[in-house]
Amino acid sequence: MNQAHPAVIDNLPEFLLHAITLERESVDRYEELAESMAVHNNPGMAELFHKLAHFGRLHASEIEQHAAALVLPDIAPWNFKWSTPEGPESGTRDGVHYLMDQREALEHALYNETQGRDFYASVASSSPDEEVRELAAQFSREESEHVAILESWLTRLDPQNTRRLEDLDPPNSPD
Amino acid sequence: MSSRDPNHPSPTLSVAITGSGGSGVVTAGQMLLMAVADAGLYGLMGRSAGPQIRGGESAVMLRTGDHQIDCLDDHFDILIALDWLNVNRFAEEIPLTPESLIVCDPESGTVPEAIAHQGARVMALPLNALAKGVTEGRVNMVALGVIAELLGLPRQTMLSVVDKALKRKGAGVIDSAHQCINSGFDQPKSLQLRSKLPTISVPPPRWNISGNEASGIGALRGGIRFVAAYPITPATEMLEWLAPNLEKLGGALLQAEDELASINMIIGGSFGGIPSLTATSGPGLSLMMEGLGLAVTSETPVVVANVMRGGPSTGIPTKSEQSDLNIALYGFHGDAPHLVLGALDIRDCAFTTEWAVRLSEELQTVAIVLSDQSQGQARSVIDPPPAAPAGHGRKLAQANEGDYLRYRLDPEDGISPMAIPGTEGCLYTADGLEHNERGTPSSMPRDHQRQLDKRLRKLVNLDSGPSWAEIRGSGENCIITWGSSSGAAFEAANRLARLGRATRVIAIRLLSPLPENRLFEALAGATRVLTVEQNHGGQLYHYLHALRLLPDSARMLARPGPLPIRPGEIIQTMLEQY
Amino acid sequence: MSGNPVASPVTAKQFKSEIKPVWCPGCGDFSVLSAVTKALAYLALPQQNVALVSGIGCSSRLPAYVSVYGFHGVHGRALAVASGLKAARPDLTVLVAGGDGDGFSIGGNHFLHACRRNMNLTYIVMDNEVYGMTKGQASPTTSPDWAKSMLTPHGPGVPSFNPAAIALASGATFIARGFTGKPNDLAKLIVDAIQHPGFSFIQALSPCTTYRPEQNEWKKIVRPFDADVTADPIEAAQRIQADDGLSTGLIYQTRLPVWQPPNSISAEIEQLERGFQI
Repeated sequence: MNQAHPAVIDNLPEFLLHAITLERESVDRYEELAESMAVHNNPGMAELFHKLAHFGRLHASEIEQHAAALVLPDIAPWNFKWSTPEGPESGTRDGVHYLMDQREALEHALYNETQGRDFYASVASSSPDEEVRELAAQFSREESEHVAILESWLTRLDPQNTRRLEDLDPPNSPD
Repeated sequence: MSSRDPNHPSPTLSVAITGSGGSGVVTAGQMLLMAVADAGLYGLMGRSAGPQIRGGESAVMLRTGDHQIDCLDDHFDILIALDWLNVNRFAEEIPLTPESLIVCDPESGTVPEAIAHQGARVMALPLNALAKGVTEGRVNMVALGVIAELLGLPRQTMLSVVDKALKRKGAGVIDSAHQCINSGFDQPKSLQLRSKLPTISVPPPRWNISGNEASGIGALRGGIRFVAAYPITPATEMLEWLAPNLEKLGGALLQAEDELASINMIIGGSFGGIPSLTATSGPGLSLMMEGLGLAVTSETPVVVANVMRGGPSTGIPTKSEQSDLNIALYGFHGDAPHLVLGALDIRDCAFTTEWAVRLSEELQTVAIVLSDQSQGQARSVIDPPPAAPAGHGRKLAQANEGDYLRYRLDPEDGISPMAIPGTEGCLYTADGLEHNERGTPSSMPRDHQRQLDKRLRKLVNLDSGPSWAEIRGSGENCIITWGSSSGAAFEAANRLARLGRATRVIAIRLLSPLPENRLFEALAGATRVLTVEQNHGGQLYHYLHALRLLPDSARMLARPGPLPIRPGEIIQTMLEQY
Repeated sequence: MSGNPVASPVTAKQFKSEIKPVWCPGCGDFSVLSAVTKALAYLALPQQNVALVSGIGCSSRLPAYVSVYGFHGVHGRALAVASGLKAARPDLTVLVAGGDGDGFSIGGNHFLHACRRNMNLTYIVMDNEVYGMTKGQASPTTSPDWAKSMLTPHGPGVPSFNPAAIALASGATFIARGFTGKPNDLAKLIVDAIQHPGFSFIQALSPCTTYRPEQNEWKKIVRPFDADVTADPIEAAQRIQADDGLSTGLIYQTRLPVWQPPNSISAEIEQLERGFQI
């Protein structure tokens, strides 16, 4: 089960599996969100989430290179040492809705990247394995860069022109 | 097969036995049917009962002769009353003539007016005293001896039936039954029947079977290996027969919590690739309609054996009526092409059910098979039933053949290969929502139109072959009928022919999709057309009229149950109408 | 570590189909999709040997989104279709999914009897206490005072249905409650349910973002049961009744005979026909 106080990650393969899973799950979730936005005719956000998925994929493949020569362990989803319900960058469904605007979507991504940064920072400070600590610290720095980028994007948003107007139509009954 | 000319059948004899409160009417009737079978003859035995679970009044009605018998006669030759308690219930079901013979015990009282007014001859016999003269003697066995002697059945045949039928009851019971039967045989009789049963030297191979059992065997022959059902009169015996016998063939019967479950369970079983069936009666069929629409839309073949009873609502559960044709044809919401078949007689329950399974599997759609209480709960001595046309079976998708489209439109006959779970590379979701070729839900007009067309095409393209109907006789007179009225119609036509009015009968087995061209051809030259069916509204008549298949002058004989349509009634209608 | 039975590279993504869900963004059902695919990947079941059956409702759209054999039937009858499928094809792993209206209202009778029949099925009910596909009416699990539906402007006014209690009373042998806010824990429950021999019932609390936005608060109050699974039905009953319906975990598990068809051939049709010969 997911831990309130995450257990310690003490070897490189285990750490890299966590890092790869974090990124892959995050990519899957962004793609899911992008598709969901497309289904709900919010193409702007669909594009944004596809873009975030793309960044995630790039990051995942970098991490995978670190793991190329290693045999990774097999860990059941519920045995990962996250302090979050799923992977730290998989997000929660809070604030996700069909009229999502750019600000909300970026805040969602910012939340994810912050969680990712904190996860790596926690490993960097708690792992007894030096190699793990170093790599975790590096990943944490990279996530911090992502956080900074997202924050700068957010500050550049025009507060007047991003918000979608309230939907005055009644809901539909499909079945 | 009987070697006799079917247009000139030899006379038959009809016997009714009535009694109440555990007097053993049904046992006696079944043993009598076994005896005529052992004597090389044929027979048909129906039954009627009061509403009590035990101890009620019962009647068995048996007709026997040297050819297969597919309907009750106009009158009974013998009525033997073990007592007269509540017999009025059956008075209408047991028509007598002045030629008929009533056998009764004066100890039981006088013949009730409802019976007596028909003017039949009465022979008083001390049935009860004869039974009491035997240790643990039973009056039904005495009656059996009396009947056997009057019919001309060999004594030894009757006694050996007792040995078989009561084997499990032990030597004491068998011995006392023998004594009773002998006393019935030996009792002097002041009156006799106008004729005796013929003697058969080399009997043909025959079966002793009920309509429900015949439907069961037909289902298994067709390949049914999964049944889910909820008990309902008068279909339950089909399930009781199927449960142990399916198991022997490696199949299974699942007792459902209700009919909504049973229809959906067999849809699940069939989705899994196992030919599946449920049996029910009118109220159950009503509950199943939504599920049947799902089977049509998801193109999951399923078979519903519907044993009709008096309706609507709870109606008359224990008695027969052909009044579910409308729901079988039209009960679905939406446009839902499907198969409707009707069994013409008890023997035909096997053929028609087997054929229904094969058609349903081939066309991947619903087949409703209509039989009724007078077939399902009656027993008959029949020629072994023939096999139904084999068809092509269910068209299955092969593993890993590329992009799999469950509901693909390109097959000309509309039949797209079905993937069975376990098949690699053909994953799909069957859907009751309208869908596209892949099965993905779609409300697009084009998908709806095309899938409707596809599902209809499967049925339109069906070449039923000659099995769609039984057509006998010729002439300008024509009776069109279906289901259990067919036997009476055939017999009526024979008798009409002998009266100089050549009559043909078209007994429709495949009611939907109705091969209209074949019916049109079969009707060629018929100027006096009468539809015959046992329901109040003339359901077949209106169906055929809606299809513009009947001449404007066509008449209908439509009468509700529970009384069976008898040949004389058809003849009378024909003579009156034309 | 996990004790993963098969060290295979099967991923949850492989169990996701190409079809895009129509669920509202933010719907809890996405997490059930995630949990189901993770569970199936963990068990490394061959896709073609798994069937997922559903009825009608938002959650019943699930089969199309999972890459296994699916059956999307009519409202309320998913358990019946699944029971028939499992009886006819005991070799398949059969999952059943649906919502609270589908399972507890129109399909209520099948729920009772599926529990007591104890066939080897896994039933996941995505419970959001509302009918989403028909614009937000009260379901059997809606609280009596929820007055947001035009159909019941004063609230349904009748006590809500307690699925775990009904399942227990009906003889279910595996009763669990999960929460879509914890998809990985839900995945674990689904794995345990699939591995349980017999009927497994999982009530998955799945917030409806459109009609029940207040359910977003569930994440603050949903918590694990403070006791481990029990095999004692009396203890389980007490635990269920004492709870507010928002505690999660495997509540009750026991072993009872599993209904399955006998599987042996002992006759040919010709032998059965001989029984009718005179």
